[in-house]
Amino acid sequence: MSRALDNVIVLDLGRQFCTALSAAFLADFGARVIRLDLLPANAGPRPAGWNHEADLIHRNKESLALDLRSDQGRAVLKDLLAKVDVVVTDWQRDELAAAGLDYERVQASRPDVVYGRLSGFGPLGPDADLPPIDELAAARTGMMPILPQPGQPPVYTGSGAMHASVMMAFGVVMALFHRLETGEGQEVDVSLFGANMYGAALDLQAFLAIGKGDRLLNPISRLDVSNPMSGSLYPSADGRWVTLTMPDTDRWWPVFSKMVGIATDDPRFDSHDKRTESHRLELIEALEQAFQRHPGAYWRQAFMDNQMSADVIEQFDYPADDPQVVANRYILELDHPSFGKVKSLGFPIFMSDSSARLERLAPCIGQHTGQVLDELLGYSAETIHQLTAAGVVA
Amino acid sequence: MSKALEGIRVVDLTVWFQGPVAAQHLADFGADVIKIERPQGGDQGRGVRSIKSLEVGDWNQYFLVINRNKKSMAIDLKKAEGQEILYRLVEKSDVFLSNLSLDLLANWNLSYDKLASINPRLVYATNTGYGLFSSASKPSFDMTVQALTGAMARLGEPGQPPIYMGMGSGDAFGGIMSALGIMLALYQRRRTGKGQYLDASLYGAQLYLAAPYLQSFLAGHRESALQQSRKQVANPLWNLYPTRGKWVYLCEPNRDDRHAVVGRALAAEAMLQDSRFKDAAGRAAHNEALIEIIENATRQHGHEELMAAFDREGVIASPVNNLADVIRDEQAWQNRYFMKTYCEEVDRDVDVRGMPVTLSRTPGELRCLGPQLGQDTELLMMELLEYQWEEIEAMKAKGAIP
Repeated sequence: MSRALDNVIVLDLGRQFCTALSAAFLADFGARVIRLDLLPANAGPRPAGWNHEADLIHRNKESLALDLRSDQGRAVLKDLLAKVDVVVTDWQRDELAAAGLDYERVQASRPDVVYGRLSGFGPLGPDADLPPIDELAAARTGMMPILPQPGQPPVYTGSGAMHASVMMAFGVVMALFHRLETGEGQEVDVSLFGANMYGAALDLQAFLAIGKGDRLLNPISRLDVSNPMSGSLYPSADGRWVTLTMPDTDRWWPVFSKMVGIATDDPRFDSHDKRTESHRLELIEALEQAFQRHPGAYWRQAFMDNQMSADVIEQFDYPADDPQVVANRYILELDHPSFGKVKSLGFPIFMSDSSARLERLAPCIGQHTGQVLDELLGYSAETIHQLTAAGVVA
Repeated sequence: MSKALEGIRVVDLTVWFQGPVAAQHLADFGADVIKIERPQGGDQGRGVRSIKSLEVGDWNQYFLVINRNKKSMAIDLKKAEGQEILYRLVEKSDVFLSNLSLDLLANWNLSYDKLASINPRLVYATNTGYGLFSSASKPSFDMTVQALTGAMARLGEPGQPPIYMGMGSGDAFGGIMSALGIMLALYQRRRTGKGQYLDASLYGAQLYLAAPYLQSFLAGHRESALQQSRKQVANPLWNLYPTRGKWVYLCEPNRDDRHAVVGRALAAEAMLQDSRFKDAAGRAAHNEALIEIIENATRQHGHEELMAAFDREGVIASPVNNLADVIRDEQAWQNRYFMKTYCEEVDRDVDVRGMPVTLSRTPGELRCLGPQLGQDTELLMMELLEYQWEEIEAMKAKGAIP
């Protein structure tokens, strides 16, 4: 089977989870991704047991171990850069320049390179060189104070970094698409700040447009939710929470009211305006009591029977044990060479003619050095031996 | 300026948020996106009048921003004549995108097989709720899917209700994921000439959104699924702290030198002299005590004063801003994460979310806000689809178009 990116070679210089995952995504869909592991290798403490993180964010990649401190090492890098279509990095600009890996230098070796860089706060402006730390970006985005219940500490979700991961892959593939037509490469910048802002989609756009509003600046209690039937949370009899998204309450009220045991013609709640405005708080109170009459499992079935956009709030064991998640390959069951049967995060996109692959788990440092030098760079066995003996590669 | 998606035409049969935002990403980079809407009322997103009980403002920013740079055709797809118009459009298009249910698409004779038979080069993209290989058929919205993934249940202090990551958060993620899938298929098609079917579901996208924590859970770390208190984080130097004003996010690694610098910035002798905190292992073992000491120090100051002290010592930290701060943030404006554009509805410039992906040679562009319902129906039928005026009149008489 052909894969979407199987003519693309990527050099992966990602340090962070989200950047490395972005490169892994390109590899999942066919790109040959070569991870540059710098020598001397950092012999940090190895986690005990399965290195599940590496086997996710470095899957399908090759590893080239190279020492950039010597002239010979830099010469190998230069040869390598001439062969790569894409660079993905999250290094700071001064570090890239020092290593000869800044855009200008890479472009000198490979004029049509697509150069993707994850930044903290974007390529321009006074904070362009602040470090790419998702927590800093999230703190600045304005959402953290309004996610929890009133009086609770701000909440960091980690979703901004994942948005950045997917945006980076999107930008890189779009730039590759442009290159296929025109032969032109370019720089792609995705920042954690920009990605966090996109995750804060509706609240942020609302505040941009309205410019004020306590309900957008302070947390809203779940007992003061704007629509009792949409965006709301109620505890059930066994403590599991239910959530509803039925913004069009007129459509759902007849069947919903029956399900929760409120008279459909209760005059307090017999119109959308009464339910969401004049008698909103009473309805919240009534639902608070109604949902406590039965456990979560009962409500899940009721929501299913009525084809309602509502559900029980689950923990990770739910998707982990959901056969449909495996059927869709969102989670993979695999036979790990060292740890046996394990589950690992899969692929979010189904493609009929170029499906994602899992060809191998994370490489060991330098596992593919010889192969890359031989196949890709065309070095002779003698040269490879000499470079290895000199400690330039490993 | 050249456009990355020059010459790519997208049929955008989507409603609400996730599908429209996927097509918006493509439109921003130059694709010709034609939104297909039902004649009566159009996309339900046009009807959004309030957000969190606040009026949306004097212009409909919910709809107009995520449907920017698009055209609109109003077509009744329940009618065979309406379907014929769509087929003719599909012949001239590169991408078909829909977040309607697969049953509905089949009822309207818009299945993959049907449209691919008309245009074998077509990239046919759907956004199901729970994936193609699921039996679940009930309607899916951002928050009900987020609920299933487990991502909400791990957020917040222990004992607090689960936390939704913000209105439209999961939809926004599903949208960029869908746009990425379409780009992969378009890239491959430019090489091979073949279209294909792809699905990016809300559930699949949101499971990927939970990657760091879900993967850890899958590897047996059960605590990754649970709420964790900020009073018990393993590294006290990377944590949220209250001040007299805003909260502050301190982001320092658990290293002796950084510990000393934070202690100096806070003038917290107790941090520096207590032997329990002399190395990384000690700080991790006595994290709760150290967090309390740091918190006692940060509470003495306003956030500005505290940030000034942090800046002096080179400590990495940020105040936890609110939305009023971010809309004034110069960094966001300079990078075009926010932009100004003309809004016809109110005859003035308005502020909108801009371009989160920066391409140096083919940057995204904001040409116009979302279209009026059906504003391009007749023009596109004549110029692009080459209908005669009499045929258009006949379509109107049959109710296929308004």
